[in-house]
Amino acid sequence: MYQFDWSILWGEGGRLLIQGALVTLELAALSLLLALVLGFLFGVLRWSQFGPLRPFCWLYVELLRNTPPLVQILFWYFSATVILPPGIIMVLRDWGFQFVAVIFALGLYHSGFVAEIVRGGLNAIPRGQYEAAEAVGFSFLQSVRYVLLPQLVRIISPSLVNESVSLIKNTSLALAVGVADVTYQARYIDYSSFRGVEALTATTLFYLVVCATIAGFGHLLQRRLSRHRRSAA
Amino acid sequence: MNWELVFTENNVRRLLIGDWPKSLGGVALTIELSLIGIVLATLLGLLVGYLRFAGPRPVRWLAAGYVELLRNIPLLVLIFWAYFAPPYFGWEPSKFASVLVAIVLFNAAYLAEIVRGGLLSVPVGQVEAARAMGMSSLQLALYVQLPIAGFNSIPAMTGRFITLLKGTSLAFLIGLAEVTEIGRQINNRLLTAPVEVYATLLAIYFILNRGLSAAMRLLEDRRRFNRIVCFFAR
Repeated sequence: MYQFDWSILWGEGGRLLIQGALVTLELAALSLLLALVLGFLFGVLRWSQFGPLRPFCWLYVELLRNTPPLVQILFWYFSATVILPPGIIMVLRDWGFQFVAVIFALGLYHSGFVAEIVRGGLNAIPRGQYEAAEAVGFSFLQSVRYVLLPQLVRIISPSLVNESVSLIKNTSLALAVGVADVTYQARYIDYSSFRGVEALTATTLFYLVVCATIAGFGHLLQRRLSRHRRSAA
Repeated sequence: MNWELVFTENNVRRLLIGDWPKSLGGVALTIELSLIGIVLATLLGLLVGYLRFAGPRPVRWLAAGYVELLRNIPLLVLIFWAYFAPPYFGWEPSKFASVLVAIVLFNAAYLAEIVRGGLLSVPVGQVEAARAMGMSSLQLALYVQLPIAGFNSIPAMTGRFITLLKGTSLAFLIGLAEVTEIGRQINNRLLTAPVEVYATLLAIYFILNRGLSAAMRLLEDRRRFNRIVCFFAR
């Protein structure tokens, strides 16, 4: 029978895992930012059905959503050295080439999903709302600020929270190109000290706590937002 | 661009079937893994989703715990559990079995939630009518609730199946020779054509997933769906 030795998590192993956990959170925060920015941009473009960009936006969303994030990470990581000019590669090396590649790939991948969420949210706002905003003499910016955004945020925030949880879980793929995130450290502890079960347990608990916290926050948010809706109606 | 380096006869054969007949790999293994995974995950998802919806209270909690646990852990960590943990307890699973178990358990949690949502959408009148006809709970579930719930959740399930297929690419991280692993091997041997190799992989997955969506859209026809359900319910 296997003898557990949890003390591995308090010494060197624990230090590595905490280091990895911080890298995971960093990866998640930066790629979430990129995903939101690109996702909103392409979501609005898809929704507006702006003629010349339509096929491009369709291809962007469909390609990103129908291919594995892992292969996308490998694609950007291995292709960057071929595609990019040497000057930019030197700069990226200083920032950590793998790290940047993973953020870029995950940001792009999830932006495809965010774009569809945003488009769905915009489509869910009834036409009458825009017409009413125009009728009471709102400027474009005013109707965005007071009519569009409040409703959009209420509709899409639960889906965006789900997407964030999925993004955090996908940061574990970073180990494929050698970024030392928390999953990577669990593997490292496994083959350096043969304490894989303990390290995997700690890693699993880390993901569980982070993801469940965010999901719980999402439930709370949803309840708050739907209460607001009831009182407004 | 060095496309002719990538598309040699040998590379194409390996991408499609791996080292068959010695061992199956490449696209064929990806499809095999996905199809078996989809069938098993759907069955488990139907079971867990139904139990969370209609089981006795402790079972409902257990099902809810399963869903919440599995949905908050990365698939990769589950694959590592399934492949690297059992040897510590004196048992060495095959790579294929490890990946399959992880993929099924992971995706079944999401499918259970989809099924539960479908069950909530079953009209009360249908359930009351079935009860009035004297159906038992099992008959009610198998002949009324689950078929209706299943049909209503086909679009959501399609999304999950696509994620499942994409998830099979993680198998390469433990060295299973599915199409991503073959692509990686080809890239390692060539070294000069990473854009071409990985673009090919992306295209392969894109085609597989579009095919999967198209196949699922066939099921969105109610008569066709009913014929299939009747075939299995007989």
